[in-house]
Amino acid sequence: MARIGVFICWCGENIARNVDVEQAATQVAELPGVACALAYKYMCSDPGQSLIRQKIASEHLTGIVVASCSPHMHLRTFRKAAAAEGLNPYLVEMANIREHCSWVHHDRAEATAKAVELIRMAVAKVRCDHALQPIAIPVTRRALVIGGGVAGIQAALDIADAGYQVVVVEREPSIGGKMAGLSETFPTLDCSQCILTPRMVDVGQHPNITLHTYSEVESVEGYLGNFKVTIRKKARYVDVAKCTGCGQCWNACPSKKTPSAFDYNMGTRTAIYVPFPQAVPARPVIDRNACLHFLKGKCGVCAKKCQAGAINYEDQDTSVVEEVGAVVVATGFQLYQIGKERNGDGTVGYGEYGYGEYPDVIDSLQFERLVSASGPTGGEIRRPSDGQVPKTVVFISCVGSRDNAKGLSYCSKICCMYTAKHTMLYKHKVHDGTAHVFYMDIRAGGKNYDEFVRRAIEQDGAQYHRGRVSKITQENGRLIVRGVDTLVGEPLTVEADLVVLASAMRPADGVEPLAQKLNVGYDENGFLSESHPKLRPVETNAAGVFVCGACQGPKDIPESVAQATAAAGKVLVMFGHEKLAREPEIAKVNETNCAACFTCVRACPYTAIEKAEIRDRKGNLVKRTARVNQGLCMGCGTCVALCPSKSVDIEGFTEQQVYAMLESLE
Amino acid sequence: MNEANVFQPKIIAYVCNWCTYLGADLAGTNRLEYPANVRIIRLPCTGRIDFNLIVKAFERGADAVLVSGCHPGDCHYTAGNYHARRRWILFRQLLETLGIDANRVHFSWISAAEGKKWQQVITEITEKTKALGPYTAYREICQEC
Amino acid sequence: MLDELRQTCRRLLQDGAVQAVIGYGRASPDDPAVPVFISKPEDVDQLVWDDRCFANLTKYLSRKEVLSLGKLAICVKGCDERALLVLEKESQIDRSQITVIGLACDGVGQPRLAKCESCDVHMPRRADIVVGKATVPDADAGAKRYAEIEEFLKRTPQDRMAYWKKELSRCVKCYACRQVCPMCYCRQCIVDKNRPVSISTSATLKGNLAWQITRAFHLAGRCVGCDECTRACPAGIDLRLLNLSLAKAAEENFGYRPGMDPDAEPIIGAYSQQDHEEFIR
Repeated sequence: MARIGVFICWCGENIARNVDVEQAATQVAELPGVACALAYKYMCSDPGQSLIRQKIASEHLTGIVVASCSPHMHLRTFRKAAAAEGLNPYLVEMANIREHCSWVHHDRAEATAKAVELIRMAVAKVRCDHALQPIAIPVTRRALVIGGGVAGIQAALDIADAGYQVVVVEREPSIGGKMAGLSETFPTLDCSQCILTPRMVDVGQHPNITLHTYSEVESVEGYLGNFKVTIRKKARYVDVAKCTGCGQCWNACPSKKTPSAFDYNMGTRTAIYVPFPQAVPARPVIDRNACLHFLKGKCGVCAKKCQAGAINYEDQDTSVVEEVGAVVVATGFQLYQIGKERNGDGTVGYGEYGYGEYPDVIDSLQFERLVSASGPTGGEIRRPSDGQVPKTVVFISCVGSRDNAKGLSYCSKICCMYTAKHTMLYKHKVHDGTAHVFYMDIRAGGKNYDEFVRRAIEQDGAQYHRGRVSKITQENGRLIVRGVDTLVGEPLTVEADLVVLASAMRPADGVEPLAQKLNVGYDENGFLSESHPKLRPVETNAAGVFVCGACQGPKDIPESVAQATAAAGKVLVMFGHEKLAREPEIAKVNETNCAACFTCVRACPYTAIEKAEIRDRKGNLVKRTARVNQGLCMGCGTCVALCPSKSVDIEGFTEQQVYAMLESLE
Repeated sequence: MNEANVFQPKIIAYVCNWCTYLGADLAGTNRLEYPANVRIIRLPCTGRIDFNLIVKAFERGADAVLVSGCHPGDCHYTAGNYHARRRWILFRQLLETLGIDANRVHFSWISAAEGKKWQQVITEITEKTKALGPYTAYREICQEC
Repeated sequence: MLDELRQTCRRLLQDGAVQAVIGYGRASPDDPAVPVFISKPEDVDQLVWDDRCFANLTKYLSRKEVLSLGKLAICVKGCDERALLVLEKESQIDRSQITVIGLACDGVGQPRLAKCESCDVHMPRRADIVVGKATVPDADAGAKRYAEIEEFLKRTPQDRMAYWKKELSRCVKCYACRQVCPMCYCRQCIVDKNRPVSISTSATLKGNLAWQITRAFHLAGRCVGCDECTRACPAGIDLRLLNLSLAKAAEENFGYRPGMDPDAEPIIGAYSQQDHEEFIR
């Protein structure tokens, strides 16, 4: 027999002004199952809560209704109070007679009548409540970091330094990411490799970090706290355990003409190679599309040179399964493909700039390699076509960014800063050269950022022209850049030796299939979606999966690092518990009735429903059924609406409860 | 008390917990007055709101039903509102075929920030339903037992 | 064609490729064909094929006692065959375990049933074996598909409701419409659920309407239009109209016809961000 207690709050004058709380109490006291109904000035106050607790004990209440403010305000408060008195917290319901009643209805009689009805609905609901226990999910305290750029490195080191095991997966032969290829960084002009490589070494040597380079995530199973990740390790043809990284092999390799991806095709590499000298691990891989052994069936120079016997032409891709409790995605970015078709949608952007056609039109990452001391020119700025030092360089910003017509709608955020940096680096190396910049406007928000841009203009003499470039042509070995200076209001043509395009930032290739494996959302540009743009910026809607760095949106190094540390922090919060408690107000399948049409499986936004089989003791199939994974279900109830036989229901919002509420209406 | 002869429609609103319910909360916080005819039933998500709840509301004497949730792209559960929208497209066709008055079934997206919109939607639905009068056609169906 | 059908079934049974054939038989000369379940090669002469073979036999694929016969072959017309695809998509059958005998069909009933007038699947398309040859559907068959519902929707809403009130007041809640429907395979139908009672079980107008809304909507994006519900209804209620209205909505809004395209994603349990919403404020 239900014994419901109803506690009506005055909320000072907030409720009592428009709702006759005493009359409401008198009325609802008559409802079937209501053992007591009383009003009090502030139910959420200590004395208010004590009153509830006293009544739970003295009246032997089996459920309570608090008629006060929004459940978003105080449901947790009253659940706690009930739990403290030994009443299951899920036997507490609220009637929102403040936000939904006294504050919006000023006719006292009407408001009181509605308040009574709202309480009646809550009483009807609480009578169908049943006690629920929080769901405990065990946690594997081991993390996976996908992507070994600066964000992934930071996240991995933070988690590892806190004492937990970390697995890092990087698809290139070395970690380091885009930052390893940069020259110097804004706004301090410190050398990128000098600050990054020590951290790469830390990752390589950390006792808590397992590094899988030249590897990709193949599949992800499981859920929050209990992921099973299959990682495909691509064949390196070099036994990493035997190899000492001495370099005999790549120095001797006769195939030397492959464009170096690390140099963005500005230089070449051998068939057996490490992408750059400071690579971690400092172990080569063989590119079988360039290796004479694989192409022609002869050569074998590297195998002969290798004293450690580490070359293995028979090497195969292998898979490893890593069990982890949390995943940090840090897959970074790539540049917008200028003048080429964008993935799928067939848009061709900026063919008029001649990128890919004129060798001296390059993108900003290529320019980074030209300026870098470790780059193909040893840090001397020489243009690709003839190796001459360019005396006039034009930098064009917003190529692909902020352009709804041909490019991407968003601002890539970092281009204004690195373009200013590029003009400075150029000027520092070519003292008699001139740098021109065509820009839309300069976005230099950040500590010491605007000062930095001012320095480029005022001290290093960069010529900034506000306006866009319409066309670039090549005449007599020079590039004719036709644009406009909108501040002067005149067309402007610059004859340049080199043009650098600040191409837009896009998420790295392959992030969408990865996101699908992880069940993480992404936007129309492919950037991964955070759970909440303000309050949950590194969480995703896939519980236990976090994001950081440029895979989530354009950002610079300090922001990527900060976000990586934030993601690591969230992982550590998770790892602070042996078991995670999850809300029990989630879906539950009546497996006997389930007809196994699996519409719910297709629809579930969290892939929280799986196809399961019920077998008898002998192992014979009795029936198939949908089954809810309690670690994944978030309790949206999409499955309930779709299930024709209502063999699935949501605890706390059951079909029966909704019906009871409807029935209670007069 | 209201005049006995003034028709006060019964309006049932099924709303999602994260957008429209909070939008209605905000209307309260901002003291935006609206008619007292609406009864809110809070559910986790519009994805949970099945057609049978609309039918049931009419059976229980509702003169109008509102179903409201997060705007597309804003669903707390990523996609529940998209699933709901697709079902409503189909369900509305069935209602049309049955001759159930489309003016009595309302759908809206009201975000947690749209307290004002909540006020407007409820006010308009109430006025409209008052003009339509009680849904006697459906009540007759339910009384013939 | 009948000989060919019988021979095909005899061979399947003799070879042991299947243990039973679900087909049409005749109980009395004046009545429509009845389902028969043939397990012995010598019994294949019980099989019939004519324009009184109305039943959609796919319904029996979810019956336990039929499944216990062993590996099955089933006779389907082009329209019935669509149900197989839906059942397959909904994990109810393992298509690889069933031999599908497609029957070329120019329509059933005298006069032809309404569904046959606009039929565009005279020849089964995904059957393992096709028996017979059928005429090519009229080029404008598809255009007539929703003619009846379009005509019905020209009436006023009040008129429509009055129509259904009148029709549904005759419903006796025998659930024949459910029993013959190949898509009604739930282990416990929502209408039989009693905690909570979703649909009033008494045969009152209230319960009858709620039941038909539920039945029709549960078939949204799933009904293949075999019209067995309409044929089975002892009260002669034109349930086809309800199914047709949802089929129309599915095709007009989502370009989807259940059971037609094996590569098409079922529309229920899925969504598109582009789904229209002009009706939502």
